[in-house]
Amino acid sequence: MKQIQMRKSSTTSLISTKKIIQMNNVWASYDSKNFVLEGINLSIDRGTNYAIIGQSGSGKSTLLKLMNGMMIPSKGTIKIDYVSPDMNNKKFKNMMHTIGYIPQSLGLVKNISVLENTLLGALPRLSKIQSLFKKFPEHEIKEAKRILNLVGLSGKEDRKIYMLSGGEKRRVAIARALMQKPTILLADEIVSELDNVTAHEIMDLITDAQKRTNLTAIMVHHDMKLALEYANRVAVIKKGQKILELGVEGETIVDFQTGDVTTEEIMEMYDANSKK
Amino acid sequence: MLTPKNNIIIGIIIALLVVASYNVDANPIEFVEGLPNLAIVVEEMLLVEPKYVPTAIWAMFETIQMAFIGTIVGFVIALPLSMLSARNLNSKYVYGPVRALLAAIRTFPSILWAILFVIMVGLGPFAGVLAIIMYTIGFVSKLQYEAIETIDSDPMDAVGSIGVSKWQLIRYVVIPESASHLLSHLLYMFDYNIRQTSILGLVGAGGIGFYIINYIKFFEYGKAAVFMLVVLVSVLIIDWVSVKIRDKYIIKSQHGMEVTTK
Ligand SMILES: Nc1ncnc2c1ncn2[C@@H]1O[C@H](COP(=O)(O)OP(=O)(O)O)[C@@H](O)[C@H]1O
Ligand SMILES: [Mg+2]
Repeated sequence: MKQIQMRKSSTTSLISTKKIIQMNNVWASYDSKNFVLEGINLSIDRGTNYAIIGQSGSGKSTLLKLMNGMMIPSKGTIKIDYVSPDMNNKKFKNMMHTIGYIPQSLGLVKNISVLENTLLGALPRLSKIQSLFKKFPEHEIKEAKRILNLVGLSGKEDRKIYMLSGGEKRRVAIARALMQKPTILLADEIVSELDNVTAHEIMDLITDAQKRTNLTAIMVHHDMKLALEYANRVAVIKKGQKILELGVEGETIVDFQTGDVTTEEIMEMYDANSKK
Repeated sequence: MLTPKNNIIIGIIIALLVVASYNVDANPIEFVEGLPNLAIVVEEMLLVEPKYVPTAIWAMFETIQMAFIGTIVGFVIALPLSMLSARNLNSKYVYGPVRALLAAIRTFPSILWAILFVIMVGLGPFAGVLAIIMYTIGFVSKLQYEAIETIDSDPMDAVGSIGVSKWQLIRYVVIPESASHLLSHLLYMFDYNIRQTSILGLVGAGGIGFYIINYIKFFEYGKAAVFMLVVLVSVLIIDWVSVKIRDKYIIKSQHGMEVTTK
């Protein structure tokens, strides 16, 4: 069996077992007819790295949108720190300030600089007057520069987004999320289009941030190998259903969901995915 | 190309053209018979009276100032209205009424606004400026909200999910993302408004058109020609300048945007 290199921020046994995200029999639909997610159950421990993989169209991005309140489930319950994610819920609206969300296309504002994009993460901390005059306090600018240094972008603060490489853009999106002082980071396939080396650099950045701040990261991936390398748990989604929840114990890959999938079957999927 | 369906459409267009021409008394023979009259006008215009050039330039300067104020004020008033009209920022209970208001404003051409304001505030450039403001509000707001509706939804989603206020979303995402379009509309509108302001003088709302119409009334085509030439040259210069500004600020940033989208 192949050895999977472990780069996880921490192992499940070391951290507090407090659940930060819980989904109970969650169904979701865009047209209230066809369900794109069907009966999802999951629970995520604080401070862990949780990966979601599955074929295109299986519902991975929808799962993230449910976690940041952009979408409301048709059925079932979701709790983020015991609060239901819903943009119209005042309590959750305040929690959104500390939930970083990076969509697949990153969602950077293209015509403004790296520093200005990073500062967007501090917007909830700005007063009305400050945001009217686009005036960020000095300590926020300092903090943004510190974070940009952390993600390897010092010296590029004044560049416009369209002047950056794919890897650099991802660093900006991460910097913007870190600027939120996040407790949760939701990232949708942000390393899928990158070469292997850059993908690892970006993942290492997130692992470092997790170590420093006990950040919980929920990341959609394309590559099973990469997911297993970094995540404490890997949920496999197929046609809107969670079919497996994998983790590495010692040298074997275990399915925690059903328990009746053989390691061989998992390894087959693993090989099929990692060959791509 | 020439499918049966297209043939039918072309046939309908030709039929409409014939009917419409008949209804407006469009008569090619009259046009040809009128050509000698044009020759007389052109001949008289060639007797350009250069001593009127300073007056003409001064009148044009007034026209440009009117267009400038009208465009800027109209643009600034239009911006919040178009933010309220954008479907991706508001519920239909907000954008519906605001759009209806703007559509109503748009039904009036600038010359009608000018007549209205001449009645309200009297003859002179102020009436013209007010007319240009109204026209600009109606026209540029439509360009603006259409541009706002086409901006990329991903930055809005990403920044919106931080839980920022709508005002912050507009200030930090919507305006920067649509800035190049907005600047482009501003230039276009200024350019267009200079032409419009040039004719508002016809109804006494100030500007160079006032001179032109008066000289034409008294058959002083040579004097009118000076003023018309000044309009022509000014419009050409402004056209040229706005092309330069576009190249420098707008094309470049749009090119940059293209590079980033996958
Ligand atoms: N905004 C939307 N409106 C309607 N259907 C959507 C929308 N977004 C996604 N879908 C559909 O929902 C399903 C799951 O999509 P998604 O969650 O984006 O999958 P994944 O991220 O795994 O590729 C797909 O069938 C997709 O076509
Ligand atoms: Mg997706």
